[in-house]
Amino acid sequence: MSDASSQRPHALDAMSPVEMTEAANLRKKYSLAFYCVCVAVSMLSVVVLIVLLLSIAFQGHAWLSWNLMSASHSELNPESAGMWPAIIGSIFICGICAASALPLGIGTAVFLEEFQPKNRFLRAIHSFIQLNIANLAGVPSIVYGLLGLSLFVFMFNVFGQIRVNESNGMELAGVKRYYQVLTMAGGGHTALIPQTDPEQPQIVVDGPMTAVDAEGRAYELQIWEPGMPRPTDDETLRRTVRKGRRGGSYSELSWYYFRLPFGRSFLAAGLTLALVILPIVIIASQEALRSVSPSLREASLGLGSTTWQTVRHVCLPAAIPGIMTGCILAMGRAIGEAAPILVVLGAAVAKDSGPKNLMDNVVTMPVLIFNWAGRQQAVYQELAAAAIIVLLVILLLMNSLAIFLRQRMRLE
Amino acid sequence: MTSLKSGLENATPDQTAMPTETAAATSADHCITIRNFDAWYGSFQAIHDLSLNIPRNRVTAFIGPSGCGKSTLLRWINRMNDIVPIAHSRGTLHLGDTDVLAKQTDVVQLRRNVGMVFQKPNPFPKSIYENVAFGPRLHLRLKRGELDELVQWSLEKAAVWDEVKDRLHDPALGLSGGQQQRLCIARAIAVGPEVLLMDEPCSALDPASTLAIEDLIYELRKSYTIVMVTHNMQQASRCSDQTAFFFEGRLIESGETEEVFTKPKEKRTDDYVRGKFG
Repeated sequence: MSDASSQRPHALDAMSPVEMTEAANLRKKYSLAFYCVCVAVSMLSVVVLIVLLLSIAFQGHAWLSWNLMSASHSELNPESAGMWPAIIGSIFICGICAASALPLGIGTAVFLEEFQPKNRFLRAIHSFIQLNIANLAGVPSIVYGLLGLSLFVFMFNVFGQIRVNESNGMELAGVKRYYQVLTMAGGGHTALIPQTDPEQPQIVVDGPMTAVDAEGRAYELQIWEPGMPRPTDDETLRRTVRKGRRGGSYSELSWYYFRLPFGRSFLAAGLTLALVILPIVIIASQEALRSVSPSLREASLGLGSTTWQTVRHVCLPAAIPGIMTGCILAMGRAIGEAAPILVVLGAAVAKDSGPKNLMDNVVTMPVLIFNWAGRQQAVYQELAAAAIIVLLVILLLMNSLAIFLRQRMRLE
Repeated sequence: MTSLKSGLENATPDQTAMPTETAAATSADHCITIRNFDAWYGSFQAIHDLSLNIPRNRVTAFIGPSGCGKSTLLRWINRMNDIVPIAHSRGTLHLGDTDVLAKQTDVVQLRRNVGMVFQKPNPFPKSIYENVAFGPRLHLRLKRGELDELVQWSLEKAAVWDEVKDRLHDPALGLSGGQQQRLCIARAIAVGPEVLLMDEPCSALDPASTLAIEDLIYELRKSYTIVMVTHNMQQASRCSDQTAFFFEGRLIESGETEEVFTKPKEKRTDDYVRGKFG
């Protein structure tokens, strides 16, 4: 102990007790003032939200009816227009989006959080991925729309361009059903043979036949048998079929109708939305995994479990409430996205049903709202407000589901 | 502080590098042999040129002030430090015939052989039964009855069966701290290890639970080789057979517990066990 500590420093007695009380009161006043500012600022956002909801409810409440939920869009008769195809379309797109983004996102998060490499090179890759994901989360969704357009809709034209008139679908040369037969050209090139008997699911190519190309032009299919000279140029190869090859029925009328590239289909739209929410899912899942106590991880590893066993039996069960919350919030974002869908599918809303096959176009709720809200007639404006109410209710339901699931899993 | 400094100056480098081994330790059947072992976290060297034999079926206590490398060494014995990306080591560390540090060593099998109990009780957020059954399920395919039997045996061995037998399917987190720690010991022995590593197993427990765990450790050494890290001198003297004193990443002295505590060869050991620093 030194001498200095035994003497009370002068600084402690510099202010009289009265002065100190006054100073303390002043500080309390500042504190109160700051508290008021905080309350005002936070109430501001609530007020904005309430005003928004009220104005929408005021505009749209008259149109909330069963008809709105069950009818489809109508150009001529706005009074009977509804959003049923849009609801179905949103559900389909979000289904594709969830089925692709959630496994990918959670898997990536598990890789980034649980499989930390020791090797310097792998560590560099690891941090490179991490950096990119953080950046991807900030990319505007319309950019993802353009990415989806070239990646899923056109597939960089690797599989050729779709030149079929989409509005007529596959109705080429007056026929709706075709058999698809692999040609000699390989690489997925097929010939389309009109189907005359709808009951016959298969065809065996045994003699010359008439086929059509993607533009609907008929041509004579050539047959090649082993022993014959093999055609050399691509054009002929694409019109030549090996004898005895079988072809299956191929029609837009069957739900499994599928082709590459995806074109303006709900599949392409769903995958594009998956890209939009992928960074959100990854970051939320990473946060959830990071919050799992390291002692649990050590306990599991200490018992001789592999990394995967630890992830499967300890980390994921402990992190699942957080992962679920992140995923459902990301799905909420996906269901409300309009920009990437507008780029991928276009703004057309004239559709009276959900998708008929995997390659079918759909309407989604945000696109319908965008379309209606931009019209001149007041009726459509009000319909848009009503559609917004429906969309908000669906979002609210999803978020409550998230909270409910989180609470239930916490209790378990 | 002054006594510590003079202690450091007195020690010759030779004595620090090669700890003296007692006759009992050398003649015993060694379970773990460590030779010229160095360990680093990044560029910080946590353990310097350490050599030590850990005898079979006895309790070896690691003592020393915080940050002296005793937990680090413990975590290298079952390669727990693999999960720390910046940790690396050099030297030899053998468990029986197994070269623990070799790249090709199967860490999963190693950790099955070398169980670990941690400082804070860390049961899984599952039922008591599921906690104990977790390890066996990883390694073995058991029928329901066999698993039940194994769970009961482990809990009995960890002296917690009587307290939990009526609520095996209740959450493990509802147990008291001491019961949780004994549950963790039961969980560790349920996979049939031959070595148990205990990293300050009582530091988060009240005195009564501490006593229960100490009794248990004393009992368990009949079947297992136990290595424990402790900050508690009394605990080391009460329940260990061998004691190793660590200071600043070096092994200062090791030998029979009684000798280390009553007739230490090193001044620093003497100071530490008398509570002059640490």
